[in-house]
Amino acid sequence: MAMSKKHVKPSESLIHKTTHLMHDGMDGHAFGEFEMPPALGDARWTDELILSTWYMGATGKVPDHLNYKTGKSDGGFDRLDFKFLGEDEWLDHNKEIDTSIPLNRRGDERAKLRPPIPIYGGGMSYGSVSVNVMLARAHNAKKWKTYMSTGEGGYPEQLYDLKEHVITQVATGYFGVEERSIQAAPIVEFKYAQGAKPGLGGHLLASKAGEEVAKMRGSVPFVSLFSPFPFHSTYSVEDHSKHIDWIQTVNPNALISVKVSTPHDVDMVAVGSHYAGAHIIHLDGGFGGTGAAPEIAKKNIAMPIELAIPKVHKFLIKEGIRDKVTLIASGGIRTADDIAKAISLGADGVVLGTSDLVAMGCTRCSNCEGGPSGRGCPWGLTTTDVELQEWIQQEWAVKRLDNYYTALQWRLCDILRKLGLSDVKELVGRTDLLRYVGGDN
Amino acid sequence: MVGSDEVTTMTMAEFAKLSRERADSYFRYHIDAKETVDRQALPNRFIVKVGKIGLAKLIASEVFHYWGKWDVVFSRPCTYGVFSGPVGGFSPRPEMCVGCLRCTVQHPDFVKVKHNPARVALGDTYLNSNIISTIDEEARKGTVPVRGQGYRGRFGGPGWDEMFTDMSEIVRPSRDGIHGRELISTAVDIGSKPMSLKFDDEGKLVSEGPNMISIQVPFVFDVPPSRILTPRLATIWKEAAEQIDTLVMIPADMVSSNNLASRSVVPIISAGNAASAESFKSGTRMIELEEWHSEAFNAACSANPDLIVGVRLPFLPGWQQQFEEMTRAGVSVIHFIADNHGKGDGGRFIMEMLLEAHEMLIAAGIRDKITLLNSGGVVAADHLPKAIICGLDAVGLDQPLLVAIQARLSGDLSSRDNYRAKLPRKFKDSWAIQRIVNLSCSWRDQMLEILGAMGIREVRRLRGEVGRAMWCSRLEAEAFAEIEGFTGGGE
Repeated sequence: MAMSKKHVKPSESLIHKTTHLMHDGMDGHAFGEFEMPPALGDARWTDELILSTWYMGATGKVPDHLNYKTGKSDGGFDRLDFKFLGEDEWLDHNKEIDTSIPLNRRGDERAKLRPPIPIYGGGMSYGSVSVNVMLARAHNAKKWKTYMSTGEGGYPEQLYDLKEHVITQVATGYFGVEERSIQAAPIVEFKYAQGAKPGLGGHLLASKAGEEVAKMRGSVPFVSLFSPFPFHSTYSVEDHSKHIDWIQTVNPNALISVKVSTPHDVDMVAVGSHYAGAHIIHLDGGFGGTGAAPEIAKKNIAMPIELAIPKVHKFLIKEGIRDKVTLIASGGIRTADDIAKAISLGADGVVLGTSDLVAMGCTRCSNCEGGPSGRGCPWGLTTTDVELQEWIQQEWAVKRLDNYYTALQWRLCDILRKLGLSDVKELVGRTDLLRYVGGDN
Repeated sequence: MVGSDEVTTMTMAEFAKLSRERADSYFRYHIDAKETVDRQALPNRFIVKVGKIGLAKLIASEVFHYWGKWDVVFSRPCTYGVFSGPVGGFSPRPEMCVGCLRCTVQHPDFVKVKHNPARVALGDTYLNSNIISTIDEEARKGTVPVRGQGYRGRFGGPGWDEMFTDMSEIVRPSRDGIHGRELISTAVDIGSKPMSLKFDDEGKLVSEGPNMISIQVPFVFDVPPSRILTPRLATIWKEAAEQIDTLVMIPADMVSSNNLASRSVVPIISAGNAASAESFKSGTRMIELEEWHSEAFNAACSANPDLIVGVRLPFLPGWQQQFEEMTRAGVSVIHFIADNHGKGDGGRFIMEMLLEAHEMLIAAGIRDKITLLNSGGVVAADHLPKAIICGLDAVGLDQPLLVAIQARLSGDLSSRDNYRAKLPRKFKDSWAIQRIVNLSCSWRDQMLEILGAMGIREVRRLRGEVGRAMWCSRLEAEAFAEIEGFTGGGE
């Protein structure tokens, strides 16, 4: 690992120069002032999707010169479109659109959480991302009265000020899991699996497990950390139920979310989790983001989220429990159009991760795990390097995320209006409002 | 364990020595990977162009604005060293560029980063530049490629991309070890197992037992295309196969004339020379007939009854008829040959044909009596478990081995007859052998990842396990059935 040079916290002047150059460059590209970078983008996140996300992060609006709706993956969300009504039937712009969703549909005594948008932030652990990124996401969650998950890396002290908006994740390595952080949480999330590496567990490379990260996780600095798969205490639905009982004893008011990936029996898993006591079933599809995952796992193991959502939605209906479960989807949701399509396919809401990072500058170069430099993301996002992490200044990042969410909500409402719906909950499972485009499937 | 009687008659020192000897004799199969540097490096991924005037202006401006703050003046937008050469950005080092694009985003007026057309042009439509880059990394490091961020490609098919493998949320192959992968077996058997055993009234076995050999990985090395096959290449393939305990198929005349016979070498014999099967010594355990010919098969079996005799069967139209004949004649190893794009039988993809062959054997009630191999169309680590799920016992690797030793492939690679590959000008055999060993290690480890995710403890159990696979088109048909415009669904 190339770590010969000792890196120190940069001076104020250097932070000022670097962040200005980065921000000006991002804005200039997003506004079309410069040529599209020829090496930017891929089939899932095209150059236009990345730049439109930057545009939304800068302005709070959707661009009219970039495709901000779909990628070019030739399937799934990219082949679905909406069957909008004729323009004369669209809802008036003065008509209020309700985009809130209830997270507790079990009818029990626990918190009746109802974020005003059908979106919350996915788990990105301290270690996989910098504390600045983590705090920016938490502040944005507070602003939007929604939530963000800690991921499996502990609960930095600064997060306690925002605890009403922070989901504590309990994952298989139990890194950083403490009674205090469970008691602080409005939602506790069990991560059984992650879409980008289903069945494989997690791995934080040694170079990113620095002193602060190790302290948070109760481990030795600069030693690789494995989060095994699965929970070694869970081999049945009964064991799963005991897990949930344990959390409910520690925090009797928290909602329980169960995050699973998308194997062929994901519908059965969802039903089992519901009967074990979960409020939220969180499906994480195979195209999701990751700080580090074997390339073979991405896409090849488990199914894309577009295919898992309707499978689970229909099965929950068949079992007569759909109205008791909050179904959340993640893993490859990039745009407001994807969000609306996921809901049309049967989800109640979505979790975003990668798109938050893109809004803050990520170009998806895939070097989050360290890359040849061993230091992590050169944009300062997925790194705990003392120098690089300073490129993300909190105030700027919160504003970017706030703008981005503003644009997402605007477009979501725009879609609902054009479908004649005044409530996002009316969109759930409405596959009749979708059209498959692009021909010979 | 040391028995109690034994313990009581030994001193502590003797007991410790015995225990040490036993511990030292422990061996669990693994492949020794060693980082092995490039001999003919791939073209750089990116081209980095820096306008010298623009850069000079920037430096002048920054010196002026930040005079005395040299950390600011000398800071660069690259953490990978592209601009850290002796003259900085005036002579960038594109070989270090990973495409983060920070430089071009920050300085769009004078820095450009582009995909290198020479890199993109590697390979052909099937064995494309992405796959070649991945194999190159696997052969260099011997590790599982790990990256950040998510999947970047197409949604589903064609080819192997049509299949997703399954996983289990809670089932593991073992409760031991960090991931339980440590105890997964990748050994497979080549040959024939009886479908049942028969015993006489006294309980003695009267039927034939299994006639098979075990190899430690579910892949064998197949002969390179004849245009590039040399004794040196055959020797490299052989020695790599011996190191990892698998088999390598080599034309019989080359085996004979270069003294290559060994336990790992499977001579490929033409039908006309079937009787030469007896001539191979040095532990030869198996031969392959170049094509199906019943008399030649019988002659080869008679010439050396101890050998396993396999037969190569191209996936040409009508292959099913020959396949049935071969199974009736008692061929125990059938080695299918598809083209290098995995196509055969008038354009069908091997996924479909392998499943058909596997199901034919199940329908005939003889699946365990016959080993199925295939060469052609397996060029990436994920293809390996997918091919086994389709019914193979083991996969024949050919092109990936050439890529591992940094052969430059050009033109349409689908046919073995017109295959064009240029090997590095200078390399040592030991270098090439280690590159192939590294690739084997990486692919085996990736197989363990897939098996671990499924909760399967041995690769033998993956054969034909279509219940552990999901087909994108079928899932789409289920998920999108009611959506307008989807074929077969909607209005």
